[in-house]
Amino acid sequence: MATATSSSETAGGTITTVPSRRRRRSVEGKPRLAVAFTVLFFALLYLPIIIVVLFSFNSRKSLSYFESFSTRWYVQFFNDEQLISSLKASLFISTITMLGSLALGVMLAIALERVRSRPARVVGTVSLIPLVTPEIVTGVAALLFFTGLGIKLSLATVILAEITFSISYVAVIVRGRLAALSGEYEEAARDLGCTPFQAVRLVVVPAILPALIASGLLIFALTFDDFVLAFFTTGVDPQPLPVRIYSEIRLSISPAINAVGTCMMLVSAVLLIVAVVVPRLFGSKDSGIDIISQG
Amino acid sequence: MTDTPTAPRQQPTATSGAPVTETAETAIRLVGLTKRFGDTTVVDHLDLDIRKGEFFSLLGPSGCGKTTTLRMIAGFSDATEGSIILAGEDVTSVPPHKRNVNTVFQSYALFEHLDVAGNVGFGLKRKGLPKDEIRRQVGEALDLVQLGDRAKARPRELSGGQKQRVALARALVNRPEVLLLDEPLAALDLKLRHQMQVELKTIQREVGITFVFVTHDQDEALTLSDRVAVMNKGVIEQSGTPEDVYERPKTAFAAGFIGTSNLMTGTYRNAALEIAPGISVAVPGHAELQQGQQASIAVRPEKIYMYDFEPGMVRISGSVAATVYHGATTQYLVDVAPDVRLTVLEQNTSRQRNDDRWSDGDRLEIGWQPEHTVVLK
Repeated sequence: MATATSSSETAGGTITTVPSRRRRRSVEGKPRLAVAFTVLFFALLYLPIIIVVLFSFNSRKSLSYFESFSTRWYVQFFNDEQLISSLKASLFISTITMLGSLALGVMLAIALERVRSRPARVVGTVSLIPLVTPEIVTGVAALLFFTGLGIKLSLATVILAEITFSISYVAVIVRGRLAALSGEYEEAARDLGCTPFQAVRLVVVPAILPALIASGLLIFALTFDDFVLAFFTTGVDPQPLPVRIYSEIRLSISPAINAVGTCMMLVSAVLLIVAVVVPRLFGSKDSGIDIISQG
Repeated sequence: MTDTPTAPRQQPTATSGAPVTETAETAIRLVGLTKRFGDTTVVDHLDLDIRKGEFFSLLGPSGCGKTTTLRMIAGFSDATEGSIILAGEDVTSVPPHKRNVNTVFQSYALFEHLDVAGNVGFGLKRKGLPKDEIRRQVGEALDLVQLGDRAKARPRELSGGQKQRVALARALVNRPEVLLLDEPLAALDLKLRHQMQVELKTIQREVGITFVFVTHDQDEALTLSDRVAVMNKGVIEQSGTPEDVYERPKTAFAAGFIGTSNLMTGTYRNAALEIAPGISVAVPGHAELQQGQQASIAVRPEKIYMYDFEPGMVRISGSVAATVYHGATTQYLVDVAPDVRLTVLEQNTSRQRNDDRWSDGDRLEIGWQPEHTVVLK
């Protein structure tokens, strides 16, 4: 896209001598293809989602023909106790997972960033393995682990599995931020009268706050709609929302699921806005999204 | 300037480990201070007394142990051996937050989430001072570094020089016994650096706090310091006033690291050093030298004459190998023997006659006053 803008500006700008036609056409031809490709990409990405949102407001049960606007599926969703209890369960799982993995992940990140030894490097590498392990392997392993120890599957086992999986995300994002701080940052705090704990609380945590918010929101969003780990580690009742949706549509496809999906997307959208806005309130130029993509 | 240059052999510091009598005047004393990382000794049995209110520089190349010494004084690095006495009190095992020293860091390490006033007031807040007292002292400190109008600015909105000043104010506002500065001017460009040097010196005089300044820049150390310690490989090679270490270097390292020196090595015989076959330089009054012993001498390039000789000068003949014009000065490289090349620096003054200028290949005589021959250890 950038190429298209700059080349057309040059062509229509101050250049008076006529450049070779062929050359101009070939330069302008390529972006046209790129634009088409980009439009196609976004269409494939977002059209199905738009359709889900659209049909969640359909007055008829049909998933192919839109009749008129109605909120009946939302009413049905909010009156379905099972779905609501699943929604509550998912929000609970996500919140606890976010807090737990933040606490552990930050500790891990600080340790890995500040302790420079061979064992620390090994731990650093091992802690990244969950990022590349297929989630289904993690899920099966967690299931075998819990049943092997005779632990009854419940929301608690889902939370334990999700936290284990999420720590490395937090550690990676927070480490990126910590690495940008010089070691002198903590020393300056110590120099000015802080105990080691106060130095972390009063100086390091505020400095990495944007990364904490960003990784916290990321973990919340990932956990909230995570299916695989939740599927293997959940008990029977209540089930996390994605697992619940899956078992619902295996029996019958109800437009109420569209309403559920729209609500889930709303949660994600709110998280996204928070991720962009909140770090700016704390005076950081980078939004949470920038921090995640840099990490 | 506590020592007069009339007594060049006088040892003004405790480099030999000899106790200094005026203990009350000592801000910080290092006794046998040693730091080892595994098998590597970074600081090796350092003995040093720094007086109250003086501007003291630790000067040396990178890796000489100067920063490690500073970090041990601040408490960020534990001493392997030896002790640190701060204002008469042994603080060797006191954690950094309980030591009455403050540091200006090389990276400034300003807290990004706080504004300038928040940064400067950080230490006072930790001490639990009342709010209006903090505000008053922060205001004073910012006025001292001429940043009174930037109290509400964020660190990232400041220029390098301004960050530097905030870091200085943040440390000074705590009125530490000793202020430690770790190459604080290294990140600034040349012009700003010169400006900050003057300002640093003025501020130090104004507040009267002992400054310990670490640098690898000899000009900076000479310009700013009351006393300088030249460090190399974990030991202090020499310490004294800037004039002392420049005019009377004690070791080849000190002579070579501070400014440029013509180093000559030869055999000592009959109060003279034979630096090349048939060329001897008189070194009278060195009873410690044995007949036939190898010894080194140093002469500063600007002390060497190329004309208008005076009676009693050391005189050597040679030929000009190269001339380098520097504007205010011209540097001549003069070969006095096949492997002895001396550097001579001449001022390009208006009094200088044209026929005194030398060109490559000219045969000439050079000379210097015998007191400018410095015998090295």
